[in-house]
Amino acid sequence: MPSNPSMSAAIVGAAESNKIGYIEEGTTNNILFIEAIKNVCDQVGIRPSDIEGIAAPNAANFLAEYLGIHPKWIDTTSVGGCSFQMQVHHAMAAINAGIIDIAVVAHGESGYSARKNRGRGRGGRGAGDPWAPSSMFDEPYGTSGAPSNYSHAMTRHMHRWGSTKEDFAQIAVTTRDWATLNPRAVMHSRETHPAGGPVTIQDVLDSRLISWPLNLLDCCLVTDHGGAVIVASAERARSFRTPPVWIAGAGENISHSSMLEMGDFTATSAYASGHAAYRMAGMGPSEMELAMIYDSFTVTAAITAEMLGLTPRGEGPSLWEGGKAGPGGAGIPVNTNGGGLSFSHSGMYGMMLLVEAYRQLSGTAEDGVHGIEGKQTSAKTAVVNGTGGSLSVTGTLVLVADD
Amino acid sequence: MADYNKPIPDPDPYTTGPFWDGAKQGKLVLPRCTDCNRAHFYPRIICPFCHSTAIEWFEASGEGWIHTFAVQHRAFGGWADEVPFVTAYIDLKEGDRMFTVLRGVDGNKPEEIKIGTPVKVEFEKASDEVHIPFWRVAG
Repeated sequence: MPSNPSMSAAIVGAAESNKIGYIEEGTTNNILFIEAIKNVCDQVGIRPSDIEGIAAPNAANFLAEYLGIHPKWIDTTSVGGCSFQMQVHHAMAAINAGIIDIAVVAHGESGYSARKNRGRGRGGRGAGDPWAPSSMFDEPYGTSGAPSNYSHAMTRHMHRWGSTKEDFAQIAVTTRDWATLNPRAVMHSRETHPAGGPVTIQDVLDSRLISWPLNLLDCCLVTDHGGAVIVASAERARSFRTPPVWIAGAGENISHSSMLEMGDFTATSAYASGHAAYRMAGMGPSEMELAMIYDSFTVTAAITAEMLGLTPRGEGPSLWEGGKAGPGGAGIPVNTNGGGLSFSHSGMYGMMLLVEAYRQLSGTAEDGVHGIEGKQTSAKTAVVNGTGGSLSVTGTLVLVADD
Repeated sequence: MADYNKPIPDPDPYTTGPFWDGAKQGKLVLPRCTDCNRAHFYPRIICPFCHSTAIEWFEASGEGWIHTFAVQHRAFGGWADEVPFVTAYIDLKEGDRMFTVLRGVDGNKPEEIKIGTPVKVEFEKASDEVHIPFWRVAG
């Protein structure tokens, strides 16, 4: 019988690249990756050569070469924003199997700078295959990126469950409130961005339409960002400078790749990946004290809340209702970094979820750089869910603080 | 005919040929599994429902219903001239779904577009080789 890998590994450190957000002088994926890996190694107290396993979407092999290291476990899983949750899952499984003791999971993505760099420095991502089904049967119809796809899910949610644009707007408002407590958030204040600082439901509804029913403030940012976490075995987890945050549960699943194959537009595979993670952890949604869930769009966060059992079906927006998921709110805190909506989002946001979950559960969410008073919560457990593609793929982790 | 100024699909001849051949004749030709009798879309060499590889092509009715929709206010290339335009997923009468730009609706009045409304397919000649299916709300 294989053993349950729950608690066999921990995240023992989490860091960002030196600069994040709108980096006006420009940057590249590689700079962001390497800065984040260097920073997390320094924080944890290891050298990059101590790393036995490396995971990074489409980049693990190149990063190993660039660092001059020879890891014995390589994971290039690249399925969008949940790649990092899945890579932590994979790293835990490799550790539990005795293959490695320590791995880095890394992210670097110049989503903002790629515009000025005319696509260069983005990891060599080329044009899609013209013979891919999505090229033949989706792209002729004028959609342009994630918002133009995700909007169809919001329309269906409003039709099927009676939700309203106001319900979804509350998610953007509450998430912005968290950003006002995070000095590194792009939308922290008028000083960090002309449109920064608190917003109202009316502000969201009055912002320009991108893809009805999604307005601009229903949509995430497109920034530069790098991040990395170190995953280590239970035996070694308490031997570093920084405290462990335990991986109690992990799961992953996929419902489709192209939205053309999405069965129920108001459901995602987070139901399955969440179940797997809860089962491994021996815990359930009512025991989660923090939720870090991918908010590429307000509708993404709402549907995910339902899938993870944090609200009844069809009532995802109620998690944020009246600001109760916000600072000092009556519900569980959600997306305490300010989310992809208002903190930072480079394209694959899953790493930012992990870094903030680590900070919250290790008690370092107000370390003087990354948060001001009020951002640190008392949470000892967290559910962390990444979503990739077009509501396509999910990775869920259940994390718990060290005793 | 004015030159078609929007993205034109580059058909994969190995797995989708009959679909595009049908389109040139104004017919919606879909794949169907001869074991479980279910139609599917996009075309595959294996049935996504029962995993049989016994796939045949047949002429579908060209009828369906709006499953969900959105109004695109931002687009590129030739589509940029058309905003706000309506995109939709169509539930096919024979089962499964297609994506389209929906015709016969007003993108400035999304509240007047109803999920479940019947639609019919039509084809636009984009090049000598490629005719693209679009769906229209019956007037």
